[in-house]
Amino acid sequence: MYDNPLTTPRATHGRAPDVFHPGGWVPMREYPQREAVDFVVIGTGAGGGPLLARLAERGYSVIGFDAGPYFRPLEDFASDETSQSQLFWTDERLVDGANPLKMGANNSGRAVGGSTVHYAMVSLRFRPEWFRSRTLLGYGADWPLDWREMWHYYARAERDLAIAGPVSYPWGPKRPRYPYRAHEINGAAEVLARGAEAMGYQWSETPLATVSAPRGDSPSCVYRGFCRVGCATNAKQSQLVTYIPRALAAGAEIRDMAMVGRIAVDAAGRACGVHYHRNGAWHFQAARNVIVAGYAIETPRLLLNSATDRFRNGLANSSGLVGRYLMTQSNQAVYGVMDDMVRWNKGPPSLTITEHWNYNDRKDFHGGYCWMAQGPLPVEWSAAMSTSRRLWGAALREKMGDYNHQVGLKMVGEMLPHLDNRVTLADETDRYGLPIARVTYSWHDNDKAMIQHALGEMQRSLELVGVRDLWRQENDTNHLAGTARMGFDRETSVVDADCRSWDIPNLWICDGSVFPTTGGVNPSLTITALALRTADRICVQARTGEMRK
Amino acid sequence: MANTTSPSGAARTTLTLLGSLTGAALLGALHSHARPPPATRSPAKAPVPDPAAANRAARRLNRAAGTLAASVLFDSTVEHYRGQFQNRAMYTPLVTAAMALGVSAHGTMDERQTPHVVRDTVYALISIVGLVGTGFHLFNVRRKAGGFSWQNLFYGAPLGAPMAIGLSGLLGYLSERVRETPPGQVPMIWGLPAGRVVGVVSGLGITGTVGEAALLHFRGGFHDPFMYLPVTMPPVAAIVLGRSALGPAGIARRATRWWLRATAILGLSGTAFHAIGVGRDMGGWRNWQQNILNGPPIPAPPAFTGLALAGLAALGLLEDHPDD
Ligand SMILES: Cc1cc2nc3c(=O)[nH]c(=O)nc-3n(C[C@H](O)[C@H](O)[C@H](O)COP(=O)(O)OP(=O)(O)OC[C@H]3O[C@@H](n4cnc5c(N)ncnc54)[C@H](O)[C@@H]3O)c2cc1C
Ligand code: SF4
Repeated sequence: MYDNPLTTPRATHGRAPDVFHPGGWVPMREYPQREAVDFVVIGTGAGGGPLLARLAERGYSVIGFDAGPYFRPLEDFASDETSQSQLFWTDERLVDGANPLKMGANNSGRAVGGSTVHYAMVSLRFRPEWFRSRTLLGYGADWPLDWREMWHYYARAERDLAIAGPVSYPWGPKRPRYPYRAHEINGAAEVLARGAEAMGYQWSETPLATVSAPRGDSPSCVYRGFCRVGCATNAKQSQLVTYIPRALAAGAEIRDMAMVGRIAVDAAGRACGVHYHRNGAWHFQAARNVIVAGYAIETPRLLLNSATDRFRNGLANSSGLVGRYLMTQSNQAVYGVMDDMVRWNKGPPSLTITEHWNYNDRKDFHGGYCWMAQGPLPVEWSAAMSTSRRLWGAALREKMGDYNHQVGLKMVGEMLPHLDNRVTLADETDRYGLPIARVTYSWHDNDKAMIQHALGEMQRSLELVGVRDLWRQENDTNHLAGTARMGFDRETSVVDADCRSWDIPNLWICDGSVFPTTGGVNPSLTITALALRTADRICVQARTGEMRK
Repeated sequence: MANTTSPSGAARTTLTLLGSLTGAALLGALHSHARPPPATRSPAKAPVPDPAAANRAARRLNRAAGTLAASVLFDSTVEHYRGQFQNRAMYTPLVTAAMALGVSAHGTMDERQTPHVVRDTVYALISIVGLVGTGFHLFNVRRKAGGFSWQNLFYGAPLGAPMAIGLSGLLGYLSERVRETPPGQVPMIWGLPAGRVVGVVSGLGITGTVGEAALLHFRGGFHDPFMYLPVTMPPVAAIVLGRSALGPAGIARRATRWWLRATAILGLSGTAFHAIGVGRDMGGWRNWQQNILNGPPIPAPPAFTGLALAGLAALGLLEDHPDD
């Protein structure tokens, strides 16, 4: 009988799914609800996963909660685009503002492993100056972190995730060799390379979290390109097949299909546990410390939903900044047709990249962007053609005939933080009776200037290599960040450099929501590096007694 | 810390087993019956060259050339099938390697002391084809976006592969020269003692093959510790062989012999290691039709065996026909 992970939790009875063996199980420690565990981690994605593993490996009792299912990639993931919407957070959220965000498949995962289960695996480092963008580049806000320290944690994250990258990376300060070699580039990626060369820009193979040779029980990538709908081979080094198995082996517990509705605070104003919904009922788990890692929408929502008489505006919110400074990244694209057969869907979608405009400051707007090769699957592609190009019926059918000749470049651009781009609570409630998030977003002039610059550059590079029938997809955005920014003081930020909230000393926030700025690269590696650092800082603070303060 | 970086289950067991077997074979090679050292000789009374010895050495070289050709034949069949024989020239290595294999088999069995005109011609032809093929592969790599980049060295046409078929031809050609040694004379090639020439050629061949293995194992991120073996042991074999080929002749070279034997064994066990690697790709051996193409090349490692055999033939020549 098929046990449906979407309806029934799998990590129960002292065991959790063995993601590497069909039908297999690994032993899992279980903690009683009444006894306080050392740490509860809410969310098991790019931020939660490494924290669970590192804290458990240091001997702490930890439980990871995730509202999503515990997938068995080898069995659950079909090579079928439509069936895979199961991966996404598709619960209702209200969107408004001048440029309402499209929520769902493009920005929110919901599974043990978080969004990394279906992310595109692009694993990039920030440009060092971005950690000081206010001081050095004149926009956004500084991070309270030193880039050299982050460089160290990036290297650890890259080792843990066996990133497959180029032998030498053309931009930024020196970094250690990637653990695995870059993948063979496909036809679409080669078009980026030739286009960049024609413009005199450097290009590189994109560092990706999918292995180019076997690793442990992960086989090497088979280049079928289903990455964003769930990798059915385990070549993708998502948290589900890396940190989560490590966490389990070190004694952590995972509670899948467990939606945390509220963080409880005791009379002393310290977090003391979480109320969560699992198996059709509400439960309470006691905890000495709570870490929130639910990503940029769910993290502020949970903090706001946990308001008490003492913390009327929500937890950790004395600054009033929880939910503020939401950022997305611009994700516009230029597409066209080649005479030669390209087969752009073969392989991971973004095999080559140019970070030229991340490292070049001769431009009349703030922030940076990169662009990468593209390879959308047919359903995604027809959706893009119908929504952005307004093609229907026979016209759409005809254009779909070009699918194997199609190429495209897509940017990932830095949108600047603005106070009014934010997450608040709506009056409507979800199936658990919890107020849902209202997401308000507007692009500002700088964002628009960057997008136009990028579209022009990408178009020119395609024209230079003879791509015809060009068109621009102008409306897309993707990754999220902000809403619980880190900073130097309690008035202007929600957490400190250690991701510890200023207001509640045993409450941490460690995910994409702590970003003060979002940079012009995909965020997950930075989130993972931050989480590794936070785990280390927690251990240091526990040793020096600072934790009890 | 949980180990998510080394395989579990059958892959782990077979790797351990094969590792131990290889280790045992290497130890065995150390203790196996070494050839009796040549009788001590006085400079005044050099031994009369034995024509049977020259024939033996020539046949050993045929065997070496054949082993190398077999490796190239199977390897290029798989690789060029994977490349869908896009270009007619891609059939060339199949034809030439098959011819090399055929004439080498003939030569290995042929006890006559005269070269064979067909064999000789085929070998000479193949050496040239190897050179031309290398040019083709160079051209192919240069043409790609990025030129001589790691990306193209990893995934473009392998530069070392056509060289290997060329080497097979060259070894065969040398074999014919050794074979035509008039009775009572020391085998000479291009005016030099044959043992030294064959030794240098095999040593260079091993070095080139190490280069190819290093490149491809680097591409594989040396994800398994056994992947370091072919880039550490054969280089030593090449060095000691080089020293024997260029140093004084006529003395016993136990260490050189052991390193060459070890390299020959490594070439064979490499095939089994690669087979395990194929089993680690998605679907394992049940999915062999795809994994044979994508996984580590099963027929490639015995190239080391072929060259080590040639090295051993050189060693035999040096010991049978001391020239100093
Ligand atoms: C299609 C797609 C492609 C992407 N590609 C890339 C890429 O190539 N490179 C890159 O760097 N980034 C990429 N990203 C972004 C990246 O995945 C995210 O930035 C990153 O995973 C965010 O990490 P996180 O820990 O903040 O949150 P997530 O990884 O999203 O994890 C949050 C988890 O928390 C759970 N959760 C939330 N609230 C609760 C609650 N109240 N109770 C219980 N559980 C809860 C959720 O179910 C979810 O599993 C991509 C994202 C998407 C959607
Ligand atoms: S292309 Fe590679 S990473 Fe993507 S789904 Fe296939 S095997 Fe997984």
